[in-house]
Order: sequence, then structure tokens, then C-alpha cells
Amino acid sequence: MNRLIRLWERINAFAGKDPDVARRGRLLNVILAGIAGLGFAVLLLAAVTGTLDVKLSSIIGILVVTSLALVHINQTSVRAASLLLLVLLLIILIFSDTPAQLVSGRSSYVFFIPIAVSSLLLAPSASFFFALASTAIVAYLSYSGNVPSSPTVIAGYFFLALIAWLSSRSLEQALEDLRGINANLDKLVSERTQALSESLDREHLIAGRNQAILNSIADGVIVFDAHSRATLVNPAMVNLFGIPLEKLIGNQLQDFLHTEQLSSADREAFIKMRQNPDLVISGVRFEWGRKTVSTSIAPVLDTEQNNIGRVAVFRDISREAEVEKLKDSFVAIISHELRTPLNAVLGHAEMLREAVYGAMNEQQTSIAGRIMANSGRLLNMVNDLLDEAQMKAGKLSIRPEPFKPATLLENVRGTLDKTIADKGLTLTTEISPDLPDEIIGDAHRLQQILVNLVNNAVKFTEKGGIHVRLFRPQANRWAMEVRDTGMGIPEEETANIFEAFRQVDAVTTRQRGGFGLGLSIVKQLVELMHGEIKVQSKMGSGSTFTIHLPLETNK
Amino acid sequence: MQNFALVIEDDPDLSGIFEKALQAAGFEVETLLDGALAQKRLQEVTPRVIVLDMHLPNVDGSTLLTQIHGNPVFKDTKIIMTTADNVQAEIYRSKVTIAMIKPITFSQLRDISARLKLN
Repeated sequence: MNRLIRLWERINAFAGKDPDVARRGRLLNVILAGIAGLGFAVLLLAAVTGTLDVKLSSIIGILVVTSLALVHINQTSVRAASLLLLVLLLIILIFSDTPAQLVSGRSSYVFFIPIAVSSLLLAPSASFFFALASTAIVAYLSYSGNVPSSPTVIAGYFFLALIAWLSSRSLEQALEDLRGINANLDKLVSERTQALSESLDREHLIAGRNQAILNSIADGVIVFDAHSRATLVNPAMVNLFGIPLEKLIGNQLQDFLHTEQLSSADREAFIKMRQNPDLVISGVRFEWGRKTVSTSIAPVLDTEQNNIGRVAVFRDISREAEVEKLKDSFVAIISHELRTPLNAVLGHAEMLREAVYGAMNEQQTSIAGRIMANSGRLLNMVNDLLDEAQMKAGKLSIRPEPFKPATLLENVRGTLDKTIADKGLTLTTEISPDLPDEIIGDAHRLQQILVNLVNNAVKFTEKGGIHVRLFRPQANRWAMEVRDTGMGIPEEETANIFEAFRQVDAVTTRQRGGFGLGLSIVKQLVELMHGEIKVQSKMGSGSTFTIHLPLETNK
Repeated sequence: MQNFALVIEDDPDLSGIFEKALQAAGFEVETLLDGALAQKRLQEVTPRVIVLDMHLPNVDGSTLLTQIHGNPVFKDTKIIMTTADNVQAEIYRSKVTIAMIKPITFSQLRDISARLKLN
């Protein structure tokens, strides 16, 4: 059975033939198979019923064999096979009845078969040829048999031919159109497929490139969609947090924050960050187990600026944090531990100079003085370092209490008069009369600010003097001003001078000494007091530092 | 006891300097290098001035300070607290007569204690 089906498929293939020709060839195959099948069936029936007649069986046999032969011819030429079948049909029809019946009787209509079939098998216009052939046969039979022909029958032939021609032609036209539509459709589909495949290729290229970038960066990157679910994670992220990829992808941030690695405060901070999808966070620090991690979060926007998710970048800064911590505690310990022995050196030298152990000659007194001055300098540096470290750690606080501005200036003079006199400079002070006698502030820190500023002025002034002025620029503000006649500060450096460990250049550091912490400490103290510091300077004609502070009094 | 001063400071150099400074101011000075010893001694004497270091072995300065405040015998005693720690100085500033941040020079302590003697 399968072989039969395969055989049928093979003879109906008509590969490489015009689609119209193939269609006709298949139709012819169906007709021929029908004839052969019918022949077989009749023979079988006759054999079974015992009415097998030699003449009839040989005719049917010939018909079957002819049909099969035509199937064979059909494979090479559909047109020849069709023509042969139709001619054969005509011949059979001629002998199928008496000439009288064929010319004007019932059998005259059997010629309709080749007329109609020809338009389907050969070409639409072939129906006219067979109408003409049928007319010729009928005319010949009418003439030879002396039977009057029927004009109705002849007209019927041509009328049928016309209908067959029209219908076949419209059928072919319709099929042609259908084929055209199909071809267009095929073209369209193939074009679309091509475009789609190109864009897919492009997308794969971009995705591949992005993935390569993500994979190669050392920071952990995670992308969340609009529902805060992780959609993209790079290997560094997995390594940094020690959470397997499959636990990250598709999950929300809080799902993997439920861990002992994170302190509850940090976890809450994260959950708070989540609540505002447009928030941009940069360099927020948190502890993850033993690691210190810095995170930056930014919204992902589409072309219409809609928020479609967020991207978070995590950087392992454990090493930096460790170094920073070590530095801070190092500075604190060093400063603290240096103070005690330095204090002893200073004290002993002073006692020598003050003649506690008996009188010394002038040179000995001078040497004791130099020991004091140098250990004093060393102590100031240590104090600066300690202050800087404490301010960095946020441990230094301002303690406001009532104090007298006049006393403040007196103390500054007491501390610095000698240093200034030693360098041959002058220190003048001035208090504006509208400044209250007593104001509220941290006198100890205010003194530190003034001492630092004056010390700084002394360091950079070779001749002339330093003038300190306290005044009231506004009803609710008071100000301290330190003016010197020193070398001045280049304009481009005025923005940097308040940075820690900064002096205008390395040469001045070596010449003037110190860590360059004085101004940094001043600025931080001023900020802690909610004030502001400004500097005005001209190269060669001195600098003026002005500090404005909120004015508070007890009255 | 009008001229008696107690120096409680564990660093031998500094305690020596403080002792000399107070002597220079006219005090009769006794120096203790240990917190526990100071605790014991404070049950026997009532100094006019105590120079108290906050960082001491065995019993620390803040414990001694609490004890001094808790005993009415010391209501006229002036306390000069000495520390190297700015933050600690801020914390105890209101609880003592004078809080001095190290470095403390000979002349500073001499002048301050001389003033306290007059008051």
C-alpha cells in the first residue's frame, strides 16, 4: 500500500514543470487511474459473477493497458498524453452507438465529454477544436448514414465549448493570480525572515559585547527590572557576595539581603533605597560580613525617560577601608604617645631655663630655650595630627559657653607674642566697639583657630606685621580677621590651601616646616561652628583670612 | 593643710615637673605614681590642690574624681585635671576646677597653681 502511495506521489510529481502543466498532468493521471480502476473493477465483478465475456474483457483489457501507457507518456509530455486520450475517446465514442443516435439521438451528447475535458486537459480554447471535431464527425455520420443532423446539437457543442473555455480560462486566471499572491507572500516572508535574522544577529552581537564587558569588570554589577527583580548579574557580583547566580537572577534585592552578612541598619538602609526608584546613590558604604563594599545605584531609563529598572554597582573597598582605619588609629596612637615624652622634654628644658636647678650662664639658657622652641614645634605638629584625626572620625565636638573676646585676644597674644617678636614682626589687635563684651562660643577652639591663622601668617611673613581684628559685619554675625604683610598666595591655589597636608609647593614645605594641617583644621573647626572662612590675597602684598560666625549672646 | 598639694601622675618625668612647678608656686608637694596608692592616701589627707592625671595604673582618674566629689571633706579642694585627650578634657571640664591638656609646661602649672593658692 505504501509503495502504491509512493508510486502515485512519484508519477504526480512533475518536478520542474510549469505549474499549469503539472496541474493538467495530475488531472490526467486521476482520469486515467479512474479508467484503469473502473476497468479492473468491472473485470473483477464479471469474473466473480461468471459473466466474463471474451470480447468485452479484451476491450476492457486494452483500455486498462492504454490507460497505463498514457500514464507513462504523461510523465514525458502531458500535452501528447492528453491529446491521445481525447482522440482515443472520440474514436471510442464514434463506435459507441448507432450513427442515428450519435447524430441526433441521446448519444449525440456524449461528445460533450471530450469538449469539456479538453478545455481542462489541453488548454481552455481546445474546447472549440473538439466542438469542431465533434461537428465534423456528426456531419460525416449524418452524410454517410443519411441521417438528418440536428442544428440544436451542433449549437449545443459550441455553446458548451464557449462555457468550458470561459470557465477554464477564469479558473486558470484565478490559479495564476493565486500563484502570484503566493509568490509575493513567499517573497515577503523571506524578506521579513532575513530582516529578523539580521536584527537578531545584531542583538546577539550587542548582547555578547555587553556581556563581555560585564564579565571583565572587577566591580559587581546587577540590573533590576521595574519590579525590582534581578535580570542581569556579572560574575564579579557572584564572587563579591558569595551568592550563587541562580539565587540572584529573578529575585528581589531583599530576598538576598536576608542574611547574617549584613547588619540590620544596613539592610534597612537598602530597603529604604529600594522605595525610591529614581534615586541616584553614589559611593554608599556598607559592611558585608568582613568586607567593606561601596555601592552606587542609578535608574535605568528607556528612550521616553521612563524608569524601567535600576542598575547597582558594588565595589569591594575592604582594603581601602582597612588602610584608612589603620591610618586613623596609627595617627591617634602616635599623637597620644608622643605627647607625654615631648611634654617631659619641654618641662625639663623649661625648668633649666627658669633656673629651678640653679642659675645657668647666658649660652646655657639660650640652649634650653632652643630645646623648648623645637619641642614646642614638634608638639604643635602632633596636636595638629591628633585634631585632624579626631575631626576625620567625627569625634571632635564644639562646646559653646560664654567668653570674653578681649580675653581671647589676650590669650592669643600670650601664646604668640614671643614667636612673633623672635621673628622681628609685630602683632596688633583690634576689637570693634559694637561687638558685645561677652559672646557664646568655644573659646578654646576659637583660640586654636586664631593661633593657627596667626602662626600661618608668621610662617609666610618676613617683614611687617600681623593684624587681628574682631568685628561685627551684621547684627547676627561676628567675624575674626587675620591680615598679614607676607608673600601672599597665588590665586589658583586659594581654593586648595584648606586641604590637609597641603602647602603651596614642596619647596615652601621644606622652608616653612609643618604638615600643612593648620588651615585644614581651621576650616573644619569653622564649619563645625556653622561659620565660613574666606581668603583674599595678592602675591607680594599679603593675605587676609576672614571668618564669619553666627553671633550668640546671653542677653 | 593650706599649702599642701597632691600630684597624682604616673609618668615619673611629668610628675617630677609638676612637683617642681607646684613647689615653685609655694606648695608643699607629695607625689603619687599609682591610682590605688592615691585612693588610700586621699583617706588620710585633705590637700588644697590636687593635680590629677586621668590615665593611671590600678585605679583610674575618673574613679578618683568621683570619690573626691562624693566626699564633703574635699569641698574646698581645687582639682587640676591633666590629660592628653582633648575629648576627655571636654567631658570633664565642668567637673574640675581646671582641665589642662598635655603638653603642660612648667610655667603654666606654676602660674595656675599660684593663682589657685591666692583664691
